[in-house]
Amino acid sequence: MDLISTVLVGLPMVVSLMLLGLLGLMPASLRPQTTSAMRLVTFVISLVLFVVTTAMALGSLGEINWLTIGFNDYVLEFQYPWIESLGVTWHVGLDALSFPMVWLTAFLMPVTQIATWNEKKGAVYHPLLLLMGGTLMGVFVSLDLFMFYIFWELTLIPMFFLILKWGGKERRYAAQKFFIYTFTASVVMLLGLITVYFLQDPALAGDGAGDFTGRSFDLVAMTQVANDVHANGGIFLGKTMQSVLFVMLMLGFLVKLPAAPFHTWLPDAHVQAPTGGSMLLAGVMLKMGAYGMFRIPIALFPHAVETFQFAIMLFGFVSLVYGAIVCLGQTNLKKMVAYSSVSHMGVILLGIASQQPIGYAAALFMMFAHGIISPMLFAVCGAFKHHYHSMEIGAMRGMAKHSPWIATSMMFGWMASLGLPLLAGFVAEFLLLVAYWAAFGWWILGPGLALAITAAYYLWSMQRTIFEGGEDTQPPAGLEGKPIPDLDQSEKVAMLILAVATILFGIFPFLALDMMDAYTQTIFAALFGGA
Amino acid sequence: MTSLLRVEPFSAGFFGYFAAETVLAIGLVLMIVVPNLGRGTFRVPGTQIRLPWFFGGERYSLTGRPSLPGYISVLTLLTALLLLINDLLTTWDHSKQEVLVHAVGDDSVRILAATPFSRLMEALFIGALFLVALASNDRYRSTPAREVRSLGALYNNRRQADLHILLLTCALGMTTVALAENLFVLFVGLELAGFSSYILVAFNKESKFGSEGGMKYFMVGSASSGVGLYGLSLLYLWAGTLQVDALALAWSNIGQEILPYVALGLMLVGFGFKVSAAPFHFAAPDAYAGASSPFAGLLATASKAMGMVGLFRILLVITLPEGSEGSAVWLVLLGVMAAITMTWGNLAALGSKNPKRMLAYSSVAHAGYMMAALTAVGVWNLGEASLDGAAEAASEAVLTALLFHLVVLVAFKMGAFLVIGLLEHEGEVRDDRTLSGLAKRSPLLAVTMFIFMLSLAGVPPLSGFLSKLLVIMGIVKVAAVDVAGSGASVSVFGMDLHWVWSLALLMVLNSAISVFYYLRIGVVMFFDAPAVGRNRPVPSTVFTTIAIGLCLIGTVGFGVWGDPLIEVCRDAAAALLG
Repeated sequence: MDLISTVLVGLPMVVSLMLLGLLGLMPASLRPQTTSAMRLVTFVISLVLFVVTTAMALGSLGEINWLTIGFNDYVLEFQYPWIESLGVTWHVGLDALSFPMVWLTAFLMPVTQIATWNEKKGAVYHPLLLLMGGTLMGVFVSLDLFMFYIFWELTLIPMFFLILKWGGKERRYAAQKFFIYTFTASVVMLLGLITVYFLQDPALAGDGAGDFTGRSFDLVAMTQVANDVHANGGIFLGKTMQSVLFVMLMLGFLVKLPAAPFHTWLPDAHVQAPTGGSMLLAGVMLKMGAYGMFRIPIALFPHAVETFQFAIMLFGFVSLVYGAIVCLGQTNLKKMVAYSSVSHMGVILLGIASQQPIGYAAALFMMFAHGIISPMLFAVCGAFKHHYHSMEIGAMRGMAKHSPWIATSMMFGWMASLGLPLLAGFVAEFLLLVAYWAAFGWWILGPGLALAITAAYYLWSMQRTIFEGGEDTQPPAGLEGKPIPDLDQSEKVAMLILAVATILFGIFPFLALDMMDAYTQTIFAALFGGA
Repeated sequence: MTSLLRVEPFSAGFFGYFAAETVLAIGLVLMIVVPNLGRGTFRVPGTQIRLPWFFGGERYSLTGRPSLPGYISVLTLLTALLLLINDLLTTWDHSKQEVLVHAVGDDSVRILAATPFSRLMEALFIGALFLVALASNDRYRSTPAREVRSLGALYNNRRQADLHILLLTCALGMTTVALAENLFVLFVGLELAGFSSYILVAFNKESKFGSEGGMKYFMVGSASSGVGLYGLSLLYLWAGTLQVDALALAWSNIGQEILPYVALGLMLVGFGFKVSAAPFHFAAPDAYAGASSPFAGLLATASKAMGMVGLFRILLVITLPEGSEGSAVWLVLLGVMAAITMTWGNLAALGSKNPKRMLAYSSVAHAGYMMAALTAVGVWNLGEASLDGAAEAASEAVLTALLFHLVVLVAFKMGAFLVIGLLEHEGEVRDDRTLSGLAKRSPLLAVTMFIFMLSLAGVPPLSGFLSKLLVIMGIVKVAAVDVAGSGASVSVFGMDLHWVWSLALLMVLNSAISVFYYLRIGVVMFFDAPAVGRNRPVPSTVFTTIAIGLCLIGTVGFGVWGDPLIEVCRDAAAALLG
């Protein structure tokens, strides 16, 4: 049975669209009464997805051994004709690159809902979150460039509405900037994809080729062709064209990642987005950029990766350092966390630039670890805003005394993000430093220092919110004379789940790292002829 | 495969082959006759005897109903549309004959030809007019005679027949353009449809903007028609014929002559106005903003497609098989026009607060995309035997994309205008505040409008994305055709790509710009509070709701499952390129 199309993509998308249609047909006065029903239905669906993907991970569903999947080799692969004249197929499959992201999406969807369970968002909010999850799933399981692009753009629409409807004061500006910025980069990427499509040799396009154009959008076939060319010592499409197309595709992915200097949409979008939107945006949506890099340009154009190794390193390093320095100057808690994402995404680029299997594994693990840690950071920010009606660092002080839960969660999240050993973030950073040493030697001092800045801004913000001050501090406006609230029950549950996952993958990184490691070994063998 | 059937006008079987036009003509006659049936009598001269002749006088209760013309026109157009769709679906499996109408007694004089291409364009025109007719039943709503309370209602009752007769004449003119094998016939059809649309634009005469827009559109339109007609006469002076195939033959033996090129340039002006290409688009924003929204939708879809058909005939059929230079003579001119048109349209749309003006400029930008595709068709000369099949296939691909774009544009452009048409019931739409808070008033309508906007912007998986993708793909495909020794190719990034590739790049950049103003409509609808006086749900009207529903189905359906339409367009493109 095609579990991917039916359960992972079909179920959330169909259910959410049905719920949205139902809400649209309903008289406006009835809509608020359905909120809890909507929340329950979407939560149950997210739980189903989580259970299914976890069963897949454990191998009890589909009997998959994730450690033996090689490069351009997929499990649960299904292909159906779609637009035959263009060679477009509905082609889905999973491998060790996409599966961690799929599991992450399925994991974060229920957690996001738990974390924002008591926020009063109205009925449309919950189906939109589910739709968001469905489109993200679609991006990660697509093995057809056309389908990939469709899901890639579709993710913008629910997020656009999430920001526009439930965002902060500047949500209108942020939502438009988010949409236009990423859409513009995507159309450049699209032109690159179309050019790749037409430069293929029609003779090698395989069965899926369109009868109209003689070519196919099938990524698996395309990767196979490129790989065969490289295996015979040739260069797929020639060296110059590889570079041009690599740049066009990377532009789309770098904006999504985002890497400095293309990051300016991110702080706006994050600061304005509602907590649930931020959690999914930081947790999964940013990873689309890194995932896309591995899936398309790196797999098709390994020679261009070598050509642009230094440029990628530069982008990564600038993102890492610039993000960290900007964080130091932030007074807005959520903006600081947003810039820390830019900084951590730089680590992924450095992992790619190192051109070591272990660096690739570090990048993959960073995607995964950041996907668990950053939602926790945004959940903390959301709770802070929810209870203290402010985002300013220092608006509430001495939390350790009066709000132990929120203080503990914040401290845990911050520590995980700055790379405390035994937590998930540390594994990725450590692997990266190893790879970086192997590739660039003493230049390792660069990222090393940048990670020290990371520690600085996190510790400094903790000092100003958790430890300094106490009973003598003035509470923020609106809370005068009232008891100072702490996390509510649902927020506590969400924080606990995220913390447990962070510890789990920190102490037993091999749960995810093994499959990533095995995968990167085969990537290297296929693309660069071994390490 | 297709076979060519030759018939004489009005011979046996003629009406069967042109069933849609016959239905339109019958509908037109019915429209004139039926509302006039009544208890009229005729006095025999010199006597007091009055003979009933059922015409004029006091109308019967059935024929006197003001809603009757609307029903007649909707049914006529629907019947014609279904007949054409039936034709198209049989064309699809290549079993349909092509029909050629020639002059009586002389089969070298061609008048009309029904090919898969002309069938597709006919279906497009009639489909668009069907949507307009549906919506104008609400826009100019008729009231039962006893319930007329206001002057406006009386006006609307009085002009029902006028309105729907104009729609049917417009349909006849457009189908004539689609079928014409002779530039004179084409011009007659163009003017018939053109004059109908001038009146339709000015139809909203209560509004001063309506008259102003109609007047501007008429002035500029007739001037450009005059210029085009002058070009046509020069062409006749040069070749001695206006028949398309004879002109193509004459053009393929062209020498060092200036006359036909002047004629070509003048005709480009005439058709450039119809497709609202820069710099002949100046009347378009005023005309669109002044006209009632359904008619503005008509200008943006069917009327534009009609201009494109004229351009196809002149640029692709007549002037393409010329000399041995490899590409069409108008290539650079049209490429520059396309680049200017799409950029100008998009930049002007950015600054338009009035949603109808915005859609008008977006329509200018879409004209630019279409002309870019047309430019790409002209890159490789199809008449030359030295080229392999690749160039031909590429030209066909880009023309297919262009036809697909024209068809799906009817769905989402018309849909957007129809939604604005609903808002016009509450008062004139002069700025985007009329749309504000639509999501709170009628959420489904707002979502539908947003889908149309996203489709216009080219967001997947809507049909606007697929059509834009097909056009870009077609241009890239043409640019990537590797023809040895073609002097036209330049090096782009070290690859031998023809310069039309830069038009694809420009299209992509323009699409990115356009997202801004399409998205703004969405933001206004979902974010802003409703304007004063516009805070109740939009009144629901049956006909317009059906029309908008059809548009929505087309927008989403052709995007997700575009294969059948692509096939039909492909047959049409193959038929046009011969």
